[in-house]
Amino acid sequence: MPATKTAPPAKKAGSSPLLSLWKAYNETTSTRLKTIDSFLVFLMLSGIVQFLYCILITNFPFNAFLAGFASCVGQFVLTASLRAQVNPANRNEFKEVSPERAFADFALGSIVLHFFVYNFLG
Amino acid sequence: MRFLRTLLFPLLALTSFALARSSTGDSVLVLLDPSLKKENYSIFFGDLEKKGYKLTFRSPKDTTPEIIKDDVAQFAHVVVFAPETKTFAADVTPQSLVSLLSKNMNLLLALSPKQTPLTSLASEFSLILPPPGTPLISHFPKRDTPATLIPVQPPRAHHVISDNLAPVWFSGVPQSLGHNPMLIPLLNAPPQAFASDADSDSGADALVEAAEKSGEGLWAGSSLSLVTGFQTLSNARATWVGGVEMFSDEYINKEISKGVKSGNRDFARDVTAWTFQESNVLRIDSVEHNLVNETLPGETYTINDQVTFTAFISKYDPEIGWWRAYSDIDDMQLEFTMLDPHIRTSLPPVEGEPGMYAVTFRVPDRHGVFKFNVDYKRKGWTYLTSTSMVPVVPPQHDGYPRFLSAAWPYYAGAFSTSAAFILFVALWLAGDDRELKKNKGAKAE
Repeated sequence: MPATKTAPPAKKAGSSPLLSLWKAYNETTSTRLKTIDSFLVFLMLSGIVQFLYCILITNFPFNAFLAGFASCVGQFVLTASLRAQVNPANRNEFKEVSPERAFADFALGSIVLHFFVYNFLG
Repeated sequence: MRFLRTLLFPLLALTSFALARSSTGDSVLVLLDPSLKKENYSIFFGDLEKKGYKLTFRSPKDTTPEIIKDDVAQFAHVVVFAPETKTFAADVTPQSLVSLLSKNMNLLLALSPKQTPLTSLASEFSLILPPPGTPLISHFPKRDTPATLIPVQPPRAHHVISDNLAPVWFSGVPQSLGHNPMLIPLLNAPPQAFASDADSDSGADALVEAAEKSGEGLWAGSSLSLVTGFQTLSNARATWVGGVEMFSDEYINKEISKGVKSGNRDFARDVTAWTFQESNVLRIDSVEHNLVNETLPGETYTINDQVTFTAFISKYDPEIGWWRAYSDIDDMQLEFTMLDPHIRTSLPPVEGEPGMYAVTFRVPDRHGVFKFNVDYKRKGWTYLTSTSMVPVVPPQHDGYPRFLSAAWPYYAGAFSTSAAFILFVALWLAGDDRELKKNKGAKAE
């Protein structure tokens, strides 16, 4: 993961570890991975909001909650897989999966996921 | 339907002029004991014939004319004026008289202080008779008739007996009423009256003794009935009269006080009108049920539907010999039942719509096979019962409410995920070339 690679620049920065972590992430992560990461953060926040709404306000209609929440979780899983497969650092682990192939898998999986979500949303 | 009824109504009323005024038929069989002279009851029988009844007389021991021929009832009503007959022909034994009731024939039976088969039949109608030979006696009011011939004031505000009848002459046997709810007393004994040995007051000691034991075993007081009606569950009516003489010409013509005629004639008219199903006869013409604001009858209902139940009720009008819409029932109830009544609500008359009773209610949140039940049983009135079955189902798969406001966060979540996915794909594909070049550049280095 990028964090492990950031150790040398963090020393150079010489400030708090979190800040240096952030700086190193900004510097060493490619734009694509950043796009993926921001998408993941969005999905996580959306899922948290729905979960809180379900717990605190109402879980009725429950099928709508399941659909909304599952779309966040499912999309998160798919996106995380995509991130793992297109990350150059993992090139050795996914020798036979090209980034294009990984993206095609991701897109197809997402479309199927959304199909089920809207069916279930009510 | 309503139109048809209004059209048919005058026609049928015209044709029915020739018929009797009873709602069940005009043929009457009179079982008259040979000891009773028909001439002595000419006013009573004459009044019946004037109303349009066809009277057939027969001795209780005769075998013809048959009451039931080929299992079909030949008469609509049977009058049994045989208070002293000990043996009856096979088809009019007391037990077979009961079977007439189940064929919806009406009975008017006269008792006497003597022990006859009818005495034992009376107990099957929850009437408890005093021992044989103990007629009703009253020494009040002071009068010049024997103590067994008593003027009795007919009941006031009674829905079978008309108001303001003069006192009626009575002599005969009183009946103590059992707890049968189908009994309806039509004439109660005066409070001072009691049942005792007729000839002398020799039984007075026993009476005083019984009175001291707080009336135990004592036939006395106004709780005794002299004329009692009985209505079976199939709405056949049987009336027990304590003494046949109250219908005789002698009692009808006998003056209660100077210049005041006795009420016997009017009382006999009211009693026969009730017994022969002229008065207090109701029927349910039809019942309907439908979803509120719809006119087509509902086949099935969904839980929590608003449903309107409507009943049309008529009362028999003896004046025209036909049924007339009746809106005066104010205590009828409707039950919506699945084993237990889930809903029990009043079924009030609808103003401005004669004979129509309607109620709207919400079907319970419970599916199953339900029944609309109307069960109206009041003393002296025809029992009204109606049952219609209807299934209540849960909503269809597409019958549930959709796009609820409570679910908007979930909808927003799902839609934003899709939108974000599309945006992400667009960014990814847009960024592809640049990355590719960069990568190529890096590889080239």
